[in-house]
Amino acid sequence: MNKVLIILFLVISIGLSKSIQKKVNKEIKEVFNIEQFTFTEVNIEAEIAKTLPSTFGEDNLFKIETNNTVLGFAYISKAFGKVDYFDYLVLLDKDLIILKTKILVYREDYGGEIGSTRWLKQFIGKTKNDELNYGENIAGISGATISVQVMTKAMNDLLSSIKILHSKKIL
Amino acid sequence: MKKVFLLLAILSSSFSYSQTIPRDSSATQNLQQNAVNRILSVDRSSGVIVGGYAQVDYNQPEGLNGNLDVHRLVLLVGYKFNDKVQFVTEIEYEHVKELYVEQAFLQYTIADNVNLRGGLMLVPMGIINEYHEPTTFNGVERPNVDKSIVPSTWREIGIGITGKLDDASMRYQAYIFNGFASVNGENVLGGSNGLRNGRQKGSESIINSPNLSAKIDFYGVQGLRLGLSGYFGRTQAEDGIQEIEGADVGLSMLGLDARYINNRFSARGQYIHANLSDSDKYNILYETNLGSELKGWYLEAAYNLLALSKEQRLDAFVRYEQYDSHAATEKAGIQRNLGYNRNEWTTGLSYHIAQGAVVKADYQIFDNAIIGNNSFGQLNLGFGVWF
Repeated sequence: MNKVLIILFLVISIGLSKSIQKKVNKEIKEVFNIEQFTFTEVNIEAEIAKTLPSTFGEDNLFKIETNNTVLGFAYISKAFGKVDYFDYLVLLDKDLIILKTKILVYREDYGGEIGSTRWLKQFIGKTKNDELNYGENIAGISGATISVQVMTKAMNDLLSSIKILHSKKIL
Repeated sequence: MKKVFLLLAILSSSFSYSQTIPRDSSATQNLQQNAVNRILSVDRSSGVIVGGYAQVDYNQPEGLNGNLDVHRLVLLVGYKFNDKVQFVTEIEYEHVKELYVEQAFLQYTIADNVNLRGGLMLVPMGIINEYHEPTTFNGVERPNVDKSIVPSTWREIGIGITGKLDDASMRYQAYIFNGFASVNGENVLGGSNGLRNGRQKGSESIINSPNLSAKIDFYGVQGLRLGLSGYFGRTQAEDGIQEIEGADVGLSMLGLDARYINNRFSARGQYIHANLSDSDKYNILYETNLGSELKGWYLEAAYNLLALSKEQRLDAFVRYEQYDSHAATEKAGIQRNLGYNRNEWTTGLSYHIAQGAVVKADYQIFDNAIIGNNSFGQLNLGFGVWF
């Protein structure tokens, strides 16, 4: 059964690298407290995607289901820190409330502090109607100012994108 | 079955490879300082990284002639061979004509939270030695604790591990370094600047006794970052001299630092304490006045006068520093010089006109513990960039 599931992941989400997919699966299992689930890409029409602040191309948005019930969504994307990209994951419940944010891969020396579980906790519970402001409702980290701002902006963009997608009844 | 798996794996890897050209321009807009990097580093998992920092200063002491200086101009070049292996170097021009290599190390990422690193690296001690880019600190000049007690920019050749533990909100570093030279050309260690003359900076440096350096940073409390650093070892003596009594000194240095940000308020502080052993014998052999303890601390508070929503930032700050390179001299067998027990006030403005570009102005008052000593003031103006 496990093997079948693994193959299923590969077939469906062929674009995510194996190591990223492994990390994503681990988070989904922990956060939703499930062992088995299906993970299907949600395609947003290019015309609509163009109007959104966040990127919604291939392998960005996924639906998490078990027994044909939607549990939530996963958004995986990249942002640019000071000199390199980092990959992050956002898990949302079926009502589009943020359940978890995780830095999947951080590549540069500066700014990796944003991977801190405690710092990322600030995003939990945020919804499409929230606006995040660096330094106000999102605390900074000394020595990681740029990454903190980039991540805050990325999360803001995601929340407003979700708001638009929701208003268009796509999500 | 295996073949299917392999095929899928190949497919999936080739597919993700084809996506290495970044397409998420939205995540990177408004980040002008990274323009050069973006051009050169289009492939996210390998490529050239270019950056740098610079500071140009004008120091005007009271009653004396002023000094204008392109103090530091540093070019950072890195190359990412793949997601695991990268090389980083910083080439520095100091005062226009002195050329140094400030960092040159090769890093291998063993796991997400473990990196093996070797080469010319910064010694993690306090805040400034590692975070010395002019846009990251207030004041035209770096704090003097980070000159006379921590001899920044303090770098030596070594090897070690570093990484970040996300669940613990911690960064760790542990290195074996080549230590200070007991005698560096004509220069010996001494009272005024402590260990500063002993920095070998990776230039044909000698080693006979490796040193240990470690730092832990903890950032699990919102807005607060704490650091604990340690450095232990002995200075390095030349062949033929190392057996002579007083040829080297033992050193153990501890540092505590804290940085805090909350809305428009920010503060930082640092305490450094070093114990030197055998400095009495060293002082006899080299006829110098190295103390047996070095000590220094500073506290700084700043407030951003502009709204947080603005891209620009205008920090008004005040800093008090006290540092003594003769904190103890009895065991060193020398007379304590109170002139080395110095303190200074620095207050001014850091106007961040863009993220990565700052114009600074401040006024400093220098004093020491000699009774009847006249303090003197200095006006500093300058700019700093980091990209």
